[in-house]
Amino acid sequence: MRSYAAGRAALAVVQLAVLSVLVFALTSLLPGDAADLRFTETLSPEQVERLREQLGLDQPAAERFGHWFGQVLTGDLGTSLISGGPVVDIVRDSVGATLVLTIATLAIVVPLAVALGILMGTRENGRLDRTITSITLALSAIPDFVIAVVLVAVFSLKLGWLPATWIGGDLLTSPVLLVLPVAVLLGRTVCLLSRQVRAGTINTLNADYITQARRLGVPRRRLLFRHVLPNAAVPGVQELARTGDTLLGGVLVVEAIFAIPGFATALVDAVETRDLPVVQALTLVLAVAALLLNLLADLTCNRLVPRSALLK
Amino acid sequence: MSGRKEDALSSPQPTPRGPLVRVFAVLRRIPVAVSVVLVGVPLLVAVLGPLVPHDVKPGMPYAADGVLGTDGLGRDVFGLLLVGGRTALGMAFGAVVLAYLVGGVIGLVAASTRHRWLDELLIRPLDVLLPLPSLLVISVVAVGWRASALAITVAVAMVNVPTVARLVRAAALDAASSPVVEALRMQRESWVTIQLGYVGRAVLGPVAADIGTRITLAVFLVASVNFLGLGLSPTAPDWAVSISRNREGLLLQPWSVLAPALLLVAFTLGFNLLADRLVHRTRRPAEVTA
Repeated sequence: MRSYAAGRAALAVVQLAVLSVLVFALTSLLPGDAADLRFTETLSPEQVERLREQLGLDQPAAERFGHWFGQVLTGDLGTSLISGGPVVDIVRDSVGATLVLTIATLAIVVPLAVALGILMGTRENGRLDRTITSITLALSAIPDFVIAVVLVAVFSLKLGWLPATWIGGDLLTSPVLLVLPVAVLLGRTVCLLSRQVRAGTINTLNADYITQARRLGVPRRRLLFRHVLPNAAVPGVQELARTGDTLLGGVLVVEAIFAIPGFATALVDAVETRDLPVVQALTLVLAVAALLLNLLADLTCNRLVPRSALLK
Repeated sequence: MSGRKEDALSSPQPTPRGPLVRVFAVLRRIPVAVSVVLVGVPLLVAVLGPLVPHDVKPGMPYAADGVLGTDGLGRDVFGLLLVGGRTALGMAFGAVVLAYLVGGVIGLVAASTRHRWLDELLIRPLDVLLPLPSLLVISVVAVGWRASALAITVAVAMVNVPTVARLVRAAALDAASSPVVEALRMQRESWVTIQLGYVGRAVLGPVAADIGTRITLAVFLVASVNFLGLGLSPTAPDWAVSISRNREGLLLQPWSVLAPALLLVAFTLGFNLLADRLVHRTRRPAEVTA
């Protein structure tokens, strides 16, 4: 167990190192740099050259990477090309809204998906199972932004029950702001996750050791929670880590639609204005978060079912 | 296993017979036809749409002219629908094909090589890339190659390569360790015959099921990117871009949003249904033995 954790953590460190090189490489490979993009119309070529020198863009990539990485390690993410302020501030200002949104969503998604998954799995091909399966299948086929657009039109524009944007709103005074965004994020994640839990439950229920336990007369409740659930949770937990990906996509869309001043909005803005230091920093932070989520998921799976490490 | 159909927790019970069961039996037969129609309509619109002559002259915004009225820029919604599918579905298809060309080859080579180091060399780097959030990669690409359909397609493909490679490798390893391959090898069949003649064909099942789900995911991803404005230009006739542009006018002129949304949803829903059946058919035996 401990050696598995150590090995997995070592992989995460390697992943982290490779990732930071990748993030930097991807962003510096992009055609045109900040200097000639922002000023080609107003400045002469010599001035652009001087600006490039100032921004350190004339140095070789390896040197720039070393400089950037050294700064990142000390917690300095650089300076925004657009606002001129430190990137760390942008990260700090935008992370709150996104965290609240994500945590609120996960707090509903996980229990709901597990409950639905077990409900379906223990009644494989029953009426209830088929009904929920069809609903989740249909729901998971609708893109987040379509759900969002329709919900906003109905509940905000038509009925006026819920706010359509976060502009001018404060989360602390009006938590109702969260309702529509979280509802949008719930849709696909619950569907994807509950289907995995269902599959895990069915697979586990068909395992020989469950048959044996049933034969020994283990009570139904104990069988379900003690023997089935930990094993059935494995695909669910792994899916949860992958759901992070779906969720992030959803968060990007939701933040854009509801004008939420979060991480994704900052990222899209930075992409639009080609503010490279900000794109680099936000990408790095999000990638690290995704890595940690995956690490956590793998360790949890190993904890639930120690042999899953061998299966990998 | 015989107890699969019943409630697996309690002892086997006789299956209930009644009108509802018969209704379900009928319902279960419908989806194939329904899902083919669901996939077919958007696909036909996307493929044949650009060939249909239509009026491109802009009129009044959100007016009721033409079949489905006009959008926020005064463009004919029906005309937009006809030309918008090419990017919405084409980019996704292109990305999946590309992902399989690259990932499939990596996976097959990794699975069939006799050198362990080559396998490690091909698969390990992908482990590093696997947890990267896909929209993140795409937004970085979007910084440099704005509004380029090709760049977005390649980015979506690259995001899918690690999973495809691993899936193909796992499926091929499964097939390669079967008694059939052992027998073929003992008959001194050539490497190519074994790989293409048996392993390749055995891989097709899981691959077909995966392509089904992967295409819907790619359609989603492409649509999200375009919706966010990270992909195609905001005036492109693409379905997702249209939804994004006209979302404020949903109540004024619902078709400007609902028509492209319905086509997108029909396509992904239909593909999901087809893929679901395929998964059931190909995974069933494996699950029982697992």
